[in-house]
Amino acid sequence: MIEVRHICKTLPGGRRVLDDLSFTVRKGEFVGVLGASGAGKTLTLRCLNGLLKPDSGSILIALPGGGVEDICKVPSRKLRQIRQRIGVVFQGYHLVKRLTVLENVLVGRLGQISTFRSLIYGFKDKEAEEAVAALEKVKVAHLAGARVSSLSGGEMQRVAIARAIFQNPHLLLADEPISNLDPSNAKVIMRLIRPLCEEMPVIGVFHQPEMTAKYCTRIIAIKEGRIVYDGQPVLTQEQLIDIYGEELRQIENHNHERPVL
Amino acid sequence: MNVLSYKKNRMSTLPSKRDRASALPYKGGRYLRYLLPLGVLGVLTWLSSMVCHTNWASLAKGIHESLPYFKNLLAPDWSALSSLLKPALDSVLIALVGTFAGTLIAVFFALSAASNVAPRPVRFIVRALMGIERALPEIVILLFLVAAFGMGPFSGVLSLTIGCVGMLGKLLADAIEELDPVYIESMEAVGARKVQVLFFGVIQPIVPTIVSYGLFRFEMSIRLSIVLGAVGAGGIGMELYRAFSLYEYPRASMALLLILVLVFLSERGAAYLRKKYFT
Repeated sequence: MIEVRHICKTLPGGRRVLDDLSFTVRKGEFVGVLGASGAGKTLTLRCLNGLLKPDSGSILIALPGGGVEDICKVPSRKLRQIRQRIGVVFQGYHLVKRLTVLENVLVGRLGQISTFRSLIYGFKDKEAEEAVAALEKVKVAHLAGARVSSLSGGEMQRVAIARAIFQNPHLLLADEPISNLDPSNAKVIMRLIRPLCEEMPVIGVFHQPEMTAKYCTRIIAIKEGRIVYDGQPVLTQEQLIDIYGEELRQIENHNHERPVL
Repeated sequence: MNVLSYKKNRMSTLPSKRDRASALPYKGGRYLRYLLPLGVLGVLTWLSSMVCHTNWASLAKGIHESLPYFKNLLAPDWSALSSLLKPALDSVLIALVGTFAGTLIAVFFALSAASNVAPRPVRFIVRALMGIERALPEIVILLFLVAAFGMGPFSGVLSLTIGCVGMLGKLLADAIEELDPVYIESMEAVGARKVQVLFFGVIQPIVPTIVSYGLFRFEMSIRLSIVLGAVGAGGIGMELYRAFSLYEYPRASMALLLILVLVFLSERGAAYLRKKYFT
């Protein structure tokens, strides 16, 4: 479970990008965060992982061993420990391209082993087997020995998901995981992420309302740093126009045959 | 705003007469802009050559007098080859050890000098140290080291190591600064420790750059080790210097031939390694 309470964030220029955001996500939920570019979706996600600290408010996260911690208040050592069990799938994959697929997946548990072992000894056979199992889950185990630089965008995103699964996380965050992918690959990725919500809360930032309607269990829409919608994944045309602005209506008027969204 | 100041402001936005002239093609004034600096440069060069006693007559005389030497150099002493192989190997080893040690140390210096990794005070000190080092040529460093450690390969190795740190430290620090921040971010996101972030998120992605620069520096070090040898670092450079000093031109010619082979082989070898393993 993760609970966000009244978080606010103002950028150095004085622009308030997060304005009193509050929501709770529980196990079994796949929350899609929608909003126009610059609305504050990615910033919210970065706050949830502690990569960015909000100016005020708190983010409470339930730890696997029991207990709750506020990400905004924990010391850096503790924050590092919490991050070890938060899987993050980034839009740009964030993989080290010159390493192999297997090595990139193993990196997911880097924080969970000692520095000495990671630099000198490396990972154990059992850990490598678990990494291969994570790759099997996303159906790219046959690419384990290939260099990431030789993979396609869809394959790279699957590897990124495998890395997150290998972390054995209790929270999964996905920042625009399908933005760089074609519709077919996007569907594959969504089908891979969806079942994970049965084991942990999943929060994803998306730009595709039709995808969130199909795969998410709940939608949170953000506009100018504020939550404007929190509820069922199906949004009406008027609600979408409210989230994305009047330009959407104009685009729609130009496309009579088929709606844009 | 009164009329006068308005006019002044309005005029300042218009292109000046000179700008308008330079914008026109085939205008005489345009070429004058290049001819004038060239003329000044020509006069300065002529004055400098007067001071340095550089003239065509000296050049012709020098060529005429050096012809017998060149004739001697065209006939290398093949019997000296066996005695020159050991010094040649020394030069290669000096370059190899100096480059390897220098590259390793340069990685640490680069990490301490990169703005996306090191704190500002550390960065400032390390960048200043590397700047001072780059200002001193290897030959000057060697003169200091010979005074401290005596003549021999050790001083040569140290001199090349220091030179390598100054050059590669700067280049690798720039490479780290240009590194995509996602690598560091992805390591931090999985809860990696600082050392792990540096190793997997910074050093790993730039390994090809480190190797490429290291091989390039090795090619330089081979040539430098020959020059440094003549000053006191030993190796084939010292043999060449000795042969010239004793007027043993066929031996000097053999040493030169060996140096050419060494430089050629080091360049080809480095290119092969770069292509085979790091592209």
